[in-house]
Amino acid sequence: MELKPDFNRIITTLKHKEADRVPLAEAAISYEIMSQFLGKEVVDSDIESQVEFWTKAGYDYVGLTVGMMQPGKVTEDSAISKMLKSISLRDTADQESDESWNLEKKSFIHDDMDFENFPWEEAAKLDYSKFYEVQKYLPEGMKIIALSGKIFTLTWMLMGFESFCLNLVLNPKLVEKIFERVANIQYEALRKIIKIPNVAAIWAVDDIAFGTGTMISPAALRQYVFPWYKKFGQICHDNNKFFFFHSDGVLWDVLEDFIEIGVDALHPIDPTCFDIEEVKKKVTGRLCIIGNISNEILMNGTPEQVADLTKKRLRVLAPGGGYMIGSGNSVPEWAKLENYKAMIETVQLFGRYPIQI
Amino acid sequence: MSVFEDIKESVIAGNAEKVKEYTEKAVSDGLDVAEILNVGLIAGMSVVGVRFKNNEVYVPEVLIAARAMRIGMTVIKPLLANSTVRERGVVVIGTVKGDLHDIGKNLVAMMFEGAGYKVIDIGIDAPSEKFVQALAENRPQIVCLSALLTTTMVKMKESVAQLKAADVNVKIMVGGAPVTKTFADEIGADGYASDAASAVDIANELLAF
Repeated sequence: MELKPDFNRIITTLKHKEADRVPLAEAAISYEIMSQFLGKEVVDSDIESQVEFWTKAGYDYVGLTVGMMQPGKVTEDSAISKMLKSISLRDTADQESDESWNLEKKSFIHDDMDFENFPWEEAAKLDYSKFYEVQKYLPEGMKIIALSGKIFTLTWMLMGFESFCLNLVLNPKLVEKIFERVANIQYEALRKIIKIPNVAAIWAVDDIAFGTGTMISPAALRQYVFPWYKKFGQICHDNNKFFFFHSDGVLWDVLEDFIEIGVDALHPIDPTCFDIEEVKKKVTGRLCIIGNISNEILMNGTPEQVADLTKKRLRVLAPGGGYMIGSGNSVPEWAKLENYKAMIETVQLFGRYPIQI
Repeated sequence: MSVFEDIKESVIAGNAEKVKEYTEKAVSDGLDVAEILNVGLIAGMSVVGVRFKNNEVYVPEVLIAARAMRIGMTVIKPLLANSTVRERGVVVIGTVKGDLHDIGKNLVAMMFEGAGYKVIDIGIDAPSEKFVQALAENRPQIVCLSALLTTTMVKMKESVAQLKAADVNVKIMVGGAPVTKTFADEIGADGYASDAASAVDIANELLAF
């Protein structure tokens, strides 16, 4: 079946109407999965093959990352990692060891002096070249979604999570300064990105919760984080773009906040702890939801199990629009290709409106 | 309000200075160190644990309270050695091989300390051999394994098997975002905690406290 991308399908869905079929949407798909799907190696620099993948898999956009950190784990390719290695660790003997630059293992800002000495100007130098290179490969109807954000996550990673939490109470001014600096860099990047041709949406990827609820209080999120994301949403809408948001975990206490700050679509509605059917009831007509085929089933299940779950989601959540199919977090390298294909093929077979499953 | 209440409320408030002040006062007044520990410090953290479980407080508040409690513990530590007070138990905790996530593990460790357990944290990316070594060196009653990824979660099965082979009596608990009770049962774990706040309750049940 030849699939023609059409971002209008997503726009219709975001407006809580039924398009021709339910769209597919994903914040992050590993290059390993792309490689297996296409039968050839796909790497970060190979934009043409990435476009080929997103097209053939049935998506209406290409997801490209920009910002200080990639969605998912901290890697050597992350802008901040490259900066830390070249600037902060220049004179360090162990700069090649990821123990020294990997924000998952080491923190950099512990006091005001660290904040002043941190190379913020270098950290703000982001690379937008992919967004220009992709233009020549985009088929008609296909747009770009820019994966960005990570205001909360990057702030606590720069401080170390325990230090971040303690300082939130003991030295909130330091925490606020870091939030502001990180958010400003990401926001300025956003202002540039939305001017690039064919960029149709921004997808902020920032885990603010886990299995029991938000990591810090909703009040703290409303003080330090959500005002920035409100600005993200505002500038997107002022420029006729859409604003997607990804966070794992239970988000009941901040669900209305997402709507208030202008999030158009929320992903992934964490299948390990957040009931997507209950969420849909709460936000119908106000917030589009994306998800939530669990990563465990993508890894350990069978294609039949994936197809059954996908059909269930389509049957219950898709009528009336406002829903897109995606994973329960991302499609990592350890997902089974046959299961991933079962998910996308089920949408192609059973996701046409009106849904008749 | 008794000084024990003062200690307890100061732990709940996360006021480290007051915890130190009241604990020092309790010591200088010759009060029983076991009561200072159980009725003051641990009682305070217990309240925080319940509030955390109920989403009335969040991670920063838990860490601030734990910090305050630790300061009280440093005051009474020299006295504990000469007293009949013994830790509730020994817990070894770590994140399994290939997994770098430690937020959940650290929270669980704090909750155990707050409940009077001695915690040996073997860190992240810990292979089965490291768990087994910690078991041999520390003779814990409980070993806790944490994982955040579906791929690293599978390492738990091997670790559980090796730990049980090394000490059939040790109780093994597992937890982390992708872990479920079903998975825990499948791999032979003795207990599963869905969140940091309930981990201590599960451990207490396993040890029949």
